[in-house]
Amino acid sequence: MIVNNLPALIVVVPLFGTYLTLMLGVKHRKSSSKIALVSTGLLVVFTGFLAAMVAKNGEVFYHFGGWNPPWGIEFVIDRISAFFLLIVSSIGFLIVVFGSGTLESEVKPKIIHYYYALFLVLIASLIAISASNDIFNIYVFLEISSVAAAALVAVQGNKLSIEASVKYLILSTLGSGAFLFAIANIYMVTGHLNLSFIASKLPEAFSLYPLNVLASLGLVLVGLTIKAALYPLHVWLPDAHGSAPTTSSAILSGLVVKVYIIVFIKIIFRVLPPEYLNKVPLEFSLLLMSTLGIFIGSILAMRQKDIKKMLAYSTVAQVGYIFLGIGLLTYNGLIGSLLHILNHAIMKSMLFLSAGIIIKLTGRRRVDSLNGIGRVYPLPMIAFSLGALSMVGIPPLNGFVSKWYLGLGALDGGQVFYVIVLLVSSFLNGLYYLPIVIRAFFGPDSGIQKPESLSVGVSLSLIILSVSTVFFGFFSSIPLEYLAPAVSALFGL
Amino acid sequence: MRNIIVRVIARVIIPFIQLYGFYVVFHGHLSPGGGFAGGTIIAASLILYVLAFGLVAEEKRVPERIAQIIESLGAIVYVVIGLVGVLVGAQFLGNKIAGFPLGVPGRILSSGSILILTIAIGFKVASTMITLFNHLIEDEKEG
Repeated sequence: MIVNNLPALIVVVPLFGTYLTLMLGVKHRKSSSKIALVSTGLLVVFTGFLAAMVAKNGEVFYHFGGWNPPWGIEFVIDRISAFFLLIVSSIGFLIVVFGSGTLESEVKPKIIHYYYALFLVLIASLIAISASNDIFNIYVFLEISSVAAAALVAVQGNKLSIEASVKYLILSTLGSGAFLFAIANIYMVTGHLNLSFIASKLPEAFSLYPLNVLASLGLVLVGLTIKAALYPLHVWLPDAHGSAPTTSSAILSGLVVKVYIIVFIKIIFRVLPPEYLNKVPLEFSLLLMSTLGIFIGSILAMRQKDIKKMLAYSTVAQVGYIFLGIGLLTYNGLIGSLLHILNHAIMKSMLFLSAGIIIKLTGRRRVDSLNGIGRVYPLPMIAFSLGALSMVGIPPLNGFVSKWYLGLGALDGGQVFYVIVLLVSSFLNGLYYLPIVIRAFFGPDSGIQKPESLSVGVSLSLIILSVSTVFFGFFSSIPLEYLAPAVSALFGL
Repeated sequence: MRNIIVRVIARVIIPFIQLYGFYVVFHGHLSPGGGFAGGTIIAASLILYVLAFGLVAEEKRVPERIAQIIESLGAIVYVVIGLVGVLVGAQFLGNKIAGFPLGVPGRILSSGSILILTIAIGFKVASTMITLFNHLIEDEKEG
């Protein structure tokens, strides 16, 4: 009973949690963090089970209300979406665990149940986007995710965060508009909204109405890259991720920008027929934008004085890596970018969480004011350093593995230039991450006399994230073997 | 807005607006409209009440706390009705396959779970609209 309905339950559980927090939050504000913990914890179990099911029996199909496609809404969970679902639920759970210890200091106690409600509805929308096979359903949840994400930025209510949030809202609405326009075009030429049915009709539609299909591809590209913050459409990201509360920054940088990439992969590889991939100028535009993003994101990150702003610009560069892997259009490239989705989710949420706790404990945000912090607060700074080293791509850590596969993908495509891009950008990453690590551990004394103790939730989530950084460095074969059949099917191997 | 004409007219037409709102909600499965449209109409009557009699009087009729609870309750009812399908072994949001009686087409008590869902949406939308409006007015007062 429950097993058959898992694809629906993974969306229903966080949605139910959302409204339960809102209802109980009117009287019992304290209950909201418990509800969030329980519902994200349940999600981890459900998505884990679902991922195992997909590995065992192949793709899982779910028709809402028993209505078959193309009339009903269909969820299709293949290995790629199951992989991403598991990332969303586990990182979301860890962020809630972290937030249970620190959120009161960043968000006014009066609105804390609203915060958890927004957080859960965001998780629900991310899950539905990655599981849905219906393009209009995807659009609806895209809108939910952008409204919830913008609200999570604005929640502190100060001038900076509201400005950032409005900017984010306007640009992501622009992205949604482009995506909706693309859906309208696709629906006009194919007559379907279900991705599988669109895929079957698209070759015919392409020959009849090539301009409409090309226009909608362009709109999908623009709409989703605005939302995923690929350079030069990244302008909203540094402000939004830099001025949000810690837990919001972690989920926005770690998960939200990735979900749009998953949609992009779905549309490009599952809907568009493989022989048309080379007829559209997709490879060129993706590679150009991602290369520029990698370099300019890193260079701008280097100039930042504020640690959270620096991390936010680093996300621009990392999104560039992920799109680079997609743009290479090779097996290893796509594997690399999917692995980087996992690894960057772990690294960046860990970096944002540890930076946030350091800011909370010391009140220091400037990159050059972190002298000696590592000796006062070892755990957050060790987590930060692990994340930083992994970003640079030091071998035993997980960041190295995904860069390795991106490099292999570039070589498979015969494009040695992008291997050089990867090497130079790793060097650039080192230039802005390593000084912080060196300052924190070997710099002069911080002048902090009595260090405060960390709460259990904070320590626990940082420890788990640090361990998984190392774990996925050594055992990268686990996600690799999980993804390999799905990716080779996409390339028809 | 303390105008006697506005107050008297509002007092006369508010019941009719609400009745029409409930009509639209309860005929969601039969005619154009439904939960969202009907809920908005009901909320419009309450907004008219605020405009004519002020926020304090409205707060007595529909306290903000109650509005918030109804808002969440509407969504929870929706989810629970959806879960009935899961519990009986069909799919989420199943209607006939989940054992809801479909009734005679054209009657108000027909269409299985759709009517219940429409009513839940109606309550949710009405209370959401009224809370949104109250928040806007409160901000104006503070500023």
